[in-house]
Formats: sequence, C-alpha cells, structure tokens
Amino acid sequence: MSQTAKTSVDLTLRESKRSTFYKELAIKTILMASSLVAILTTIGIVLSLSFEAFRFFTKIPLTDFLFGLEWSPQTAIRADQVGASGKFGVIPLLTGTLLISAIAMCVATPLGLYSAVYLSEYASKKTRNYVKPLLELLAGIPTVVYGFFAALVVAPIIRATGSGMGFEISSESALAAGMVMGIMLIPFISSLSDDVINAVPQALRDASLGMGATKAETIKQVVLPAATPGIMGSLLLAISRAIGETMIVVMAAGLAANLTINPFEAVTTMTVQIVTLLTGDQEFDSAKTLAAFAIALFLLVLTLGLNVIALKIVDRYKSKYA
Amino acid sequence: MPDYTLTTSKQLQRRHAAEKRFQWYGRIAIAISVSFLVFMFTAIIFRGAGAFQQTEIGLNVALEEQVIDPQGLRDAGDISRANYKPLIMDAMQDIFPDVSERREKNQLYRLLSSASVFELGERVAKNPDLIGTTQTLWLPASSEVDLYMKDKIDQDVPEELRRLKDRDIAWVETLRSQGLIKKSFNKNFFTNGDSREPVMAGILGAALGSFFSLMICFIIAFPLGILTAVYLEEYATKNKLTDLIEVNINNLAAVPSIVFGLLGLAIFLNFFELPRSTPLVGGMVLALMAMPTIIIASRSILRSVPQNIRDAALGLGASKTQTTFHHVVPLAMPGMLTGTILGMARALGETAPLLMIGMIAFIVDVPKGVTDVATALPVQIFLWADSPEKGFVERTSAAIIVLLAFLIVMNLTAVYLRRKLERRW
Repeated sequence: MSQTAKTSVDLTLRESKRSTFYKELAIKTILMASSLVAILTTIGIVLSLSFEAFRFFTKIPLTDFLFGLEWSPQTAIRADQVGASGKFGVIPLLTGTLLISAIAMCVATPLGLYSAVYLSEYASKKTRNYVKPLLELLAGIPTVVYGFFAALVVAPIIRATGSGMGFEISSESALAAGMVMGIMLIPFISSLSDDVINAVPQALRDASLGMGATKAETIKQVVLPAATPGIMGSLLLAISRAIGETMIVVMAAGLAANLTINPFEAVTTMTVQIVTLLTGDQEFDSAKTLAAFAIALFLLVLTLGLNVIALKIVDRYKSKYA
Repeated sequence: MPDYTLTTSKQLQRRHAAEKRFQWYGRIAIAISVSFLVFMFTAIIFRGAGAFQQTEIGLNVALEEQVIDPQGLRDAGDISRANYKPLIMDAMQDIFPDVSERREKNQLYRLLSSASVFELGERVAKNPDLIGTTQTLWLPASSEVDLYMKDKIDQDVPEELRRLKDRDIAWVETLRSQGLIKKSFNKNFFTNGDSREPVMAGILGAALGSFFSLMICFIIAFPLGILTAVYLEEYATKNKLTDLIEVNINNLAAVPSIVFGLLGLAIFLNFFELPRSTPLVGGMVLALMAMPTIIIASRSILRSVPQNIRDAALGLGASKTQTTFHHVVPLAMPGMLTGTILGMARALGETAPLLMIGMIAFIVDVPKGVTDVATALPVQIFLWADSPEKGFVERTSAAIIVLLAFLIVMNLTAVYLRRKLERRW
C-alpha cells in the first residue's frame, strides 16, 4: 500500500514540477521577447532609414550628397525647367548645424561648468538642494517652448540690439537659436559634470589643500584636470543633443541654406530640412522626400558616433577612480 | 635680503582675490541660468495670461421668427444654420443709430467675431423658445477688438497700418461707455478645437489628442518597459545577447527624437499602413521613445530591492517567477510607476516625431478616439506660433501655460508617489 501511495505522491510532485518548469519557461520567454523590442526598434530605425536613403542614392550620387556645396531641394514640375533636378549637397546643412551647435556650446559650456563646480565644491547642501532641481527644470521644459521663446522674444531683442549698434541682423539669425539652445543644454552639462567632479577622490583634494593651495587653485589645477575626460564626455553628449535638436531650430532658425559662419545670418540645419521636406504633401518617390531619410541617416550616424565616443570616455574615466 | 613677508602677503592677497573671483564666477553662472528660467516663465505668462479672458459685446438681438425659422418647424439644424447676420446688424444699428452707410454698417458688424453668427445660431438651436423674443446676448468680439481691449494694440502705429481704424476704436469706446463691452472668462479656449480665428480657437482638440497618444504610449511602454527591466535585472545571465540589448537601450535613449518620427513614418504609416495623423500612431512612436527611459529607471529601482527578500522567498520554496512577481516587483512598483510618469511627461512635451507622422494638420474637430485624426498640445503650440495672426501670440502662450501646468502636475504626482510609497532599504 505504502508503495503505491509513494509513487502517486512522486507522480504528482513530478507533474507539478514539470508544470512549474513550463510555466517558468513561458514567463522567461515572454520577458525575453519584450526585451527584444529594443533591438527591433534599432533594427527598424536602421533599416527604414538606410532603405529609403539607398533609394535616394540611386537618384543622387553619394558624392554629390556628401560633398555638394549647394542645397536647393526644389524639384521642378516640368523636366525642362531650369534647375529641374534640385541640388542635394549636405555641406551647407552641416555647417549650419555645427554653427548653431557651436554657439549653443559657447553659452552652455561656461555656464554649465561653473555651475557644476560651484554646486559640487562650494555650495552648502541646502543651496544645492534648491538650485539643482531648478537647473534640471531647464531640461524638463519642452523644446517647443524654447523655440517659441527664441523666435518671439530673443530674436527680436537681438535684432533690436544689432540695429541699435548699426548693423543688420537677420530675424532668423543663428545667434538667437544657438543661444536659447545653449540655455537648454546647461543642465545636461552641469549635472553630468557634477557627477564627474564628485567622483574625483577626496584624497587628491586633501593633498593639494595640504600643500597650501587655495580651494580655487585646487579645483583649477587638480580636480578639473583629473575630471577632464569625464567633462569632455559630458560636453560631447551635449553636442550630440544640440545636433539632433529639432524644434528650437525649426521655429527660430531659417530655411535658406547659406554656407556661412556668420552668426548674424540665417542658416538652416539638418533637422529643419527633414521637417520641411516631410511635412505637407509628399509623394514617396521624389528625391525630395527621400532626401529627408538620407539626412536623417547622416544625423543618426553623427549623433550615435558622438554618443558612443562620449560614453566610452566617461566609462574609462569612471573605472579609473572606481 | 629680500623681504619675504611682504611679497608673500601681497601674493597671498592676490591668491585670495582669485579665490573670491572664482567663487563669484560660479554664483554668476547659476544666477544667469536661473534668471533665464524666470525670464522665460514671466515672458510667457505675461503674454499668455490675457488669453484666458475674452472680450464680448452685448447686443439686444430681436430673434425674429421669419428670419430664423419661417416655416415654424423648429428643426435644430435649420435653426443653427439660419442667417443671423441681419439680426445682429439691426441690433448694432440700435446702438449706433447715426451709422447709415452700407459700408460703415459692415465695418460695424466686423467688430464682432465672424464666428459670432454660428455661436448665436447654436445658442438659439439649443433653446428654441428664444425665437420671437428680444434677448440681451453677449457675443464674442473680433480678435482686433479683443487685442485693443487688452491694451495690446500699439496706437502709435499710423492708422493705415492698423487693422483697427480710429473709427472702430471710437465705436469700441462708445460701447465701453455704455457698458456693452466686457471681458469674461474665455470658455471657448478650453472647449473648442482649433480655428482659423484666434477668438474661437481652443485647445480641447489638441489636449485630447495628447491624452489619447499618451494613453497608447502608456499601454505599450509601461508593460514592455517593466518586463524588459525585470528580464535584464532578474533573469538574464550575462551573455552576448543581453549585452546587445543593453547597448541598444542606452543608444536608443540618445537617438534624436526626429529619427523616431521617421521610423514611424516609414514603418507604421508606409509599411503597416496604419491611419495617418492619429493618436494611435503618435502613441506608438512616443512609446518607443519613452521605453528606454522607463527601462533605465525601472532597472535601478529593481537593483535597489535588497537581495535578502529574494533569498527569503527562494528559501521558502518559491520559484524564480514567484519570487520575482510576488515579492520583488510589487516592492519595486511605486518606483517603476514614478519612472514611467516621468517618461510620459517627457513624451507629452515631444513635438518633432509627431510632425513626421502628420499630426500637424489643421483640425477643427475634437477627436473622439485613438483612430481619429488629431493633433497634440505641443504641435498646436507650434502651429499657432507659426500663424501670422497677432491674436494667436496670446493663444500660443496660453497653450504653453496649459502644457507646462500638465507637466508640473505629472512631475508633482511622481514626486508625491515617490515620497508616499517608495521604501528606503
């Protein structure tokens, strides 16, 4: 009797074990499947962009795109019109993007870095608790709000100042868009640099202070040099964000592709052109719409490249002091 | 022998001055950043506050039956479509009896918003008993009159450049002296969809579009994000695949938002042929964008749940799944919800990807579901900011105030949840 009872207990145990096993397996599979969505998204982005970009490059040669100095995507209605094919050189867009990003970084770097240094080295805990969220608020404001502000408040001020000093500034100048974008980038730089500066070992500071250096000297000659790679990483991340930023430039920068480095002139950027090419009516075969995908691919490569380099630098820096 | 004390003290003074300067640079940098924030908020509130009020003109309108409903059928549709213009013009004539020329009468009529006939029609259709009576009705004034009443028209501009002429201003002043013009709460702004006319333009359509998009975004991103985080933290062994997933998630967080819009355009719209310009597609794109944020936040919360809890559950015979879903996940849930709300707040402010999938059209109707054509709050702000009509500047700022209010509410909810529910280990 005991023999049979034991077997049946064994059987139910084994059965429940097996069903548990399958349940666990099923759940694990579901979990894994959902985590694959991230990979699928990346594949989707890369495939869709490169597929359309490839179609674009069958119409316009790659070299014309990469090295062309002129951008005028207007394709004519009739084939025999002047300039019927349009010009698809990405260089003016790239210089425009870089010009605005450079202005933004000129604003954001000193403000962000000095804020980070002050907050991490000088400020009392109480000030820090109040000021840090305030700075981070700048990163939480939607970019469309910055764009509106740049176009309706900052640009007129800059224009008025310019005409007051006797020279002409375009109402869609790179300066207005760049400055406002710079303000947006402050928290990116300040909070990352803050982390980086905090990661510098206290021993380095103590040694410097012990030698009689003032706090400012310690920061300038010991802490910041030690933190340089990490700070560089945070600056690169900010640049990558500036290049990919869309709404501020769509609303405050121009549409005309000028090949210039004069911050008072209107320039256009890659993101602005993507938006103008793809909003409104579109046929999916013209070089004009496909060009947007080619620019986007270029943009993706640029931002991701910067990002990967930046993360590598930050990682290496972190492991140095970990 | 050189006097060392003197030189050192001078040098020391210099060094201490440098120290002071350095500290001040930091303070100034923070002050500039914060004052910019304050400047931006005040500029927007200053410009936008006016839009919450609207100018209305009071008229004694005789609602004559033979104009509104000559057959006496009382059909609501016919009543609302009747020609109210002569009635309003008659009412205007009563206030300004000396205006007799046809052109001038038309000019007078234009003090009212061109939408006021529709508004009047709708009011009468809702309450047909009014027909045949004379009512004092407050009708929306035109955008120019509205701006004038809010002191937003520069009177130094020469008359021929102004849309509101000196004569119009005289009329408005007459109305003001008779108490027939007033500013009241702008209900239209909260109950209407978009309109070509600033006076009638509202944000309800855009707000609902945003709401539906966020709903879809939540339905997709919350479960997927949390399951991914659970997988990576609790189940995955470190191998090539999990490394790849991790790199992917970190990189996705850095992809410019506009690229997600292009993904939506190429895959969701052109490949799967989902309906264009709808919150459904908008929500899906936003979900893909919000997911990395949610995953990264959820993972750090899961990591903070102490190992003891897992060990205790496993020691009592719970399976891996039971341990995870009965013990670890519930403990991490408040934190994960907080992370999700913050991710959704980000998604609410996103504009660029929505432009790419066509949520940028001029849409008067208020969307009723996720497959209705719609726009979103930030896109509405963009559209109005682009409009040349002066009246829209005020609306744009007001819409920004509403958007920021939503964002603040979401962020405060997240902070509250964190304070209230999150456990410190």
